[in-house]
Amino acid sequence: MTSLVLQGVGKRFGGLQAVSPFDMEIARGKITGLIGPNGAGKTTVVNLITGVYKLSQGSIRFGDIDLTEAPRHEVARAGLARTYQTIRLLPDATVVANVMIGMYRHQKTSLVSQLLGLPSSRAETARFRDEVFRLLDRFGMTRYADYPAGSLSYGDQRRVEMMRALALKPEVLLLDEPVAGINEVEAARLGEIFRSLATEGEGMAVLLIEHNMRFVTHLCDYVYVLDGGVLIAQGTAAQVVNDPAVITAYLGDDEDA
Amino acid sequence: MQPALSLRAISMIAQQVLNGLVLGGVYALFALGFTLIFGIHRIMNMAHGAVFMSGAFIGLYMVRIGLPIWAALPIAMFGAGLISIFVEVIAFKPLRKLALADAELASVISSIGAGLIILSVGQYVSKTQTMRFPFGTVPVDAIVVFGLRVTMLQLLMLGVAVLMVALLAYYLYRTAQGRQIRAVAGNYRAAQLLGINPNAIFYRTFFLSGALAGAAGVMVGLAFNAVQFLMGEPFLLKAFVAIILGGLGSVPGALIGGLVLGLLQSLSGAYLPALLVDAVIFLLLFVILMVRPDGLFAQSVTESPTKRV
Amino acid sequence: MMSFITPHLPLLDLIFIGTGYALSQAIVFRAGTFSVATSGFAALGAYAAAILTVKQGLHPAAAVGLGTLLGLLCGLLLSVPLARLRGVYQAIASLAFVEILVALILYFEDLTGGPLGFHNIPRVVTPWVLFLAMLATMVLLTLLGRGGIGRAFDAMRQDPAVAASLGVNPTRYHVLSFALSGAIAGLFGGLDALRNFSLTAEQFGFSILIGTLSAVVLGGRRAVLGPLIGTTILVLLPEIFRPLADYRQAVYGLLLVVVMAFLPFGVYDTIVMKLHNRKLARAGMLAPKVPKALA
Repeated sequence: MTSLVLQGVGKRFGGLQAVSPFDMEIARGKITGLIGPNGAGKTTVVNLITGVYKLSQGSIRFGDIDLTEAPRHEVARAGLARTYQTIRLLPDATVVANVMIGMYRHQKTSLVSQLLGLPSSRAETARFRDEVFRLLDRFGMTRYADYPAGSLSYGDQRRVEMMRALALKPEVLLLDEPVAGINEVEAARLGEIFRSLATEGEGMAVLLIEHNMRFVTHLCDYVYVLDGGVLIAQGTAAQVVNDPAVITAYLGDDEDA
Repeated sequence: MQPALSLRAISMIAQQVLNGLVLGGVYALFALGFTLIFGIHRIMNMAHGAVFMSGAFIGLYMVRIGLPIWAALPIAMFGAGLISIFVEVIAFKPLRKLALADAELASVISSIGAGLIILSVGQYVSKTQTMRFPFGTVPVDAIVVFGLRVTMLQLLMLGVAVLMVALLAYYLYRTAQGRQIRAVAGNYRAAQLLGINPNAIFYRTFFLSGALAGAAGVMVGLAFNAVQFLMGEPFLLKAFVAIILGGLGSVPGALIGGLVLGLLQSLSGAYLPALLVDAVIFLLLFVILMVRPDGLFAQSVTESPTKRV
Repeated sequence: MMSFITPHLPLLDLIFIGTGYALSQAIVFRAGTFSVATSGFAALGAYAAAILTVKQGLHPAAAVGLGTLLGLLCGLLLSVPLARLRGVYQAIASLAFVEILVALILYFEDLTGGPLGFHNIPRVVTPWVLFLAMLATMVLLTLLGRGGIGRAFDAMRQDPAVAASLGVNPTRYHVLSFALSGAIAGLFGGLDALRNFSLTAEQFGFSILIGTLSAVVLGGRRAVLGPLIGTTILVLLPEIFRPLADYRQAVYGLLLVVVMAFLPFGVYDTIVMKLHNRKLARAGMLAPKVPKALA
């Protein structure tokens, strides 16, 4: 099974080394965690993977596809989907419309047939709509189908964003703080969905970026810890939680008290 | 055959440069008014040309009823300032409640509408005629400086431009009100929290913008000896070059941009067929946008740290 | 019925062509670009069609076809520099493009007739032709809008970063929107040239640019009907005030100001929005927040 492999990946902004070169592997069928205090560079890493930032050092490969220089849309077409720390839905478009954009990757009809509105294009749109409603059903959001996405509650908006990412049918799913600001019960429910995504069928490669240690230890098979842009620890959840370097990073030294 | 760089040729070029600087001063005033509104409120006031025209009209009528030019000018500026506030109230204020992104296009259209209304009044009042300032409004004498002929009118134009810019700079950078305007730019919530009435900021900036345009209008009316209700449009279009060159929202930029535009128009007007001058000016605008869209002075009038993306 | 319509035919012409231009404008807005280059593309299409018909003796249909092609190519070309700019800068750059074009048309007198205009163009285009062209364009854009292209344009307009991260190639769709805009404008420009005996460069200058822009914003940017409604309002309303002939400009201006103050999203879009809201309010258990815009 293919993994997303980062080798020696680093990012410099001018004179500032935001992320020091490090290696990471996000394997299919597993949930990999990326944790660290605020400002550690976790979102920068996701941005590097998805092509928002250019790599200063290193390479990123997914199976035999080299994603090092790929622009954002090609990264998506290769099968990587992400969610955002702050919700980035189109607030005035309906829930269906929002999720439907996620289907873009699967568009097979030619430009010409779309231009002329040929039956093949319309059939494809209908198929996509069915898929979208299946997703809505899975997440229990069918009744919100025609609502403007911005009118939903925070938790529901998070779910719409999730559905959009899943509409891509990605091989790699990058979740940037997906349960921030969500209560324990809902977070647990989402966690179940993540677990099933990783383990069902072919299994996605899931990267989970989180602050919530309990959530991480419960869900993640393997964890990487960043602090100040440097990889300070990696291992299973149990190993990492007890690593003194990690504890220092999160809680500070005695001298800082 | 005279040698290429004869004294006469040099003095001709120098004369064109002088003309260009004078014209540029007026462009600078016009551009300043526009860029002030954009820098502070991030909106394009497409009625600016109409306000400019109304300044010329008011100035003309004041002179016609017997006032000397040095009295007519401030009155014209004041009147244009008021008309500018009128534009703010009918075109921009109703749209402020919308989110900025949505309001942009709508307020452009709205200001176009306001401009048309003002144009229409001008058309009616002037009966579509081109009017002229009475002979002798500005003494026709000229002085000779370094072999260049400088008319009283040119001196007046330069003087007014310099004075206006100096006053504006003083107001914006040295007075409390000016600091408020700059600090608050575009962030109305912050303004209210600071106890500043955002409406007051709007009225003041629009008044200033209008006054500057009005001054430019009177100057142009005198310079080309023509005051006509459509005089604003070509000016506005060309002024975009000045505004973009200097940098949207930058006060020193509008000044430099205006001067460069004036020089460009004057010099190319002397050596190129008239129809190509326009093409050259707009080509320059396009090139600037390709090469350095932020213009020469990338920062804006404001000190606001919240830069709109 | 015909006796009612006939005296108003010139108005219908204006509505059909104006809608064509407005549709050309609307499609680039939909893709998120603030370009106002439509009147420039139209000028190219018009002069190409006129010159080819009169000077080269080409069949009018072929001439219009070539005008359309010219508009399309110009759209493709212009999309490249405009891709590097954002927002108001795109608008100004496209404005500069139009002004350069108009100035050049005026300058190359031998070809275009310059300031005196281009005359003796055969009047081949009837209101029917215009109506069919408009209808065909509206149908095309509606179908396009409902499919993948429409979805891609909407996504790009609202959040280009998210659109890209979902696989939408921004360059591809940006160029496509300009090609469509150029082709449509070129087509209607060509038709415009062949219905009026003569052409002048000023026809395609700042005023038509503003008129087209106003029609789109007034009617509504989102749906295909918006441009039609906006154009109709802008053509008909001043006619209704014909008795106040001198004040038509003021009426036009007042119209723009008032509609923007009360219906900033455009007449048609606002109606669609209100109906949509009512439908949701009736159907749902929760009352949704009133959206600020229909995306």
